[in-house]
Amino acid sequence: MRRVEGARVLFAPLIGGAVLVGFALASLPWNENLFRRPRTLFDRSAARSVAPGYALVAAAVPLVPAGATVVVRTEPRDPTAETYYHRFADALLPGRRALPASFYGRFTPAEVSRDAEYVLIVGTRPAEQPGRLLLETPDGTIWRAAVSR
Amino acid sequence: MTGLIWIASLLLTALAGFPLVGHRAFAGFPPPTRLVLAGASGAVLLSFAMTVAVLTGIPWNVPWLVVAAAVLAAGLRLVLRRLPVSPVRGPSEAGGGVIVVAASVLSLAAVAAALVATVAGAATSPDLLFFWGPKAQQFALARAFDAAFMRDELHHHMHAYYPPLVTNLGAFASMAAGRMSWTGATLTFPLLLAALAIGLPGALDGRLGRARAAAVASLTVAAIAYLGIEADVAGNAEMTLLLFETLAIALLLSETAASAPTQLLAGILLAGAAAAKVEGLPFAAAATALFFLARPEASRPFWPAAARLLLPAAAMLSAWFAFGASRRIFFGYSGYGRLLDLYPDHFGLVLSAVGRSLAATGHALPWLVPLACVLLALPLDRRWILPIGTAAILTAFFLFTYIHRAEDPSLWISWSAPRIFSPVAVLLSIAASLAGGRESRPARP
Repeated sequence: MRRVEGARVLFAPLIGGAVLVGFALASLPWNENLFRRPRTLFDRSAARSVAPGYALVAAAVPLVPAGATVVVRTEPRDPTAETYYHRFADALLPGRRALPASFYGRFTPAEVSRDAEYVLIVGTRPAEQPGRLLLETPDGTIWRAAVSR
Repeated sequence: MTGLIWIASLLLTALAGFPLVGHRAFAGFPPPTRLVLAGASGAVLLSFAMTVAVLTGIPWNVPWLVVAAAVLAAGLRLVLRRLPVSPVRGPSEAGGGVIVVAASVLSLAAVAAALVATVAGAATSPDLLFFWGPKAQQFALARAFDAAFMRDELHHHMHAYYPPLVTNLGAFASMAAGRMSWTGATLTFPLLLAALAIGLPGALDGRLGRARAAAVASLTVAAIAYLGIEADVAGNAEMTLLLFETLAIALLLSETAASAPTQLLAGILLAGAAAAKVEGLPFAAAATALFFLARPEASRPFWPAAARLLLPAAAMLSAWFAFGASRRIFFGYSGYGRLLDLYPDHFGLVLSAVGRSLAATGHALPWLVPLACVLLALPLDRRWILPIGTAAILTAFFLFTYIHRAEDPSLWISWSAPRIFSPVAVLLSIAASLAGGRESRPARP
C-alpha cells in the first residue's frame, strides 16, 4: 500500500510536468516558420498587431536626432494603437521627446503634438503630407515636419 | 552581441551574493543550487545598493555596485557568525536515477520551449516596452533614478512607484552592455527559468530525496514555462518575481527552515519578491505569517525569526519609499488609490472575468495540473498551510484589487490575471511535494 502511495506522489508531478511540457511545445507557433528570425519582438506574440508600429519606430532611430520632438500617429487614426506607439517612441527613442497623439486610448488635443519636429505615421501614407518624407517602409512613413506647422 | 553582454552581465549577481551563500551554513546545498541562491540573493543586494546609492547621491558604476553588493553580502556573513549554525543536510544519497534523468529532460525541454518562444518573438510582454525597459534605460543613462523623468506627466503610464528591483537590474545590465538591449531583456524569461530548473531540485532535495525533488521541480518549471509562453511574460517582471518566490518557499519548507541562516536567506529572497513587483509584498507578508503557523517548531523563538524573514523586505522598500517621498514623486503605494474605495457589485463580474482569463491561458492547465497533483498527494503534512494558504491569500488580494475600479474591470483582468495569478500555479506545484501525513519523508523509488 505504501509502495503505491510512494509511486503516486513520485509519478504524479512527473506526469504533470510531461503534460505541461507537451502543451508548451505544442503552443509554439510551428506553422509560422518558427526558426526564421523575427523582424520585431512581437512578430508571433499575442500582441503581434503592434509589430508594424514597433518596426517603424525602430526604423526612426537613425533619422530622429537626440533632443528632437517626435509624434507617432496611425493612418487611419486609432487612439488605442497611437497610445501604444507613443510608449514605443519613449522606449526606442531615448534622448528624444515623444509627444502623444493619443494618451490612455483617447486622442489628445492637436496642440499637444503640433510642434513635433518628426512625424511617424504607421499605416498608409496620409492624404495631407505632414512635411518632407524621410523614409517609407511597408509599415508606414517617417517625415520631417514642415517648419510652418 | 550587445544582447549577450546585457544578459551575461546579470551573472555578476552570483559574484555579489557569493560571500553570503559561500558560508558553511549553506554547504549542504549542491553547488548548482548554491550558485543560483548566490545569484538571486546577489541581485537583491545589488538592487538595494543601487537604491541606497541614489539616496546618498552616489552615481552608479558597474564594478563598484558589484563590490558594494558583495560587501553587503560579506556583512551579512558576519551576522551569520553570531547565529547558531546547524549545517544544512547534504543532498540525499544517489538513487532514483531514471526519475532524475526523466525530470531533468522535462525541465530542459520546458526551458528550451521558453527560449524558442522568446527568440521567435512569441512571448514578448508589451510591458517591457511600456515601462520596465524605458525606466531601466533612462536610469542607466542618468546613472541614478531620474526624478525628472519619473515626474513627467507624459510618463504617467510608467508607474513611478513600482518597486525598483527589475528596473535596477535592467539599468545595471544596460550600463554593463553600454546600452539597453530589448532582446537581452526578453531573454531574462528563459535565463531565470533555467536558473530555477538548476537550483530548485537541490533546494527541495534535503526534504524529499533526489527523485521526488527532481519530479516536483520539473512540474514547477513546466508550469511556469507554459504559463509564461501563453501569457507573454518575456521581458517583464513576472519571471524575476517567480524566481524569488519559488526559492523562498522551497527554503521555508525545507528541513533546515529552523536554522537562522536559512531564514535569513529566505528573508532576502522574500525581499527580492517585494522589490520586484507590488504583489510581491503581500506574498512576502503572507508567506512569513503562514510560516509561523505551518512550521511552529521551526519558527521559535518568534521575534528573531520574524526579523530575519521581514527586515530585508522592510529595508528594501523603506529605501525605495524614502526616495519617492524625498523627491516628492510618490508616497508608498498610494498610486493604487484608497484602500477601501471598493465596488463590491463588481465581484461577480470579476470572478467570471478571472475565470475566462485563466481558461484562455493554456486551458488553465498551468493551474489545473498542479492542483491535480496536490489532490493526488492528499493527505498533505502540516506544511501545506504555507503554500496553499499563501495561494489563498494572494487570490483574495487580487480579487480585492480588481474590485477597486469604478468602470468594468474585464479588460484589465483579461490582460493581467494570467500573469498575476502565476504565483498560485507555482505554489500549487510546490504543495504537491507535501504528501506524507504528519511528516514528509524521502521517497524510495
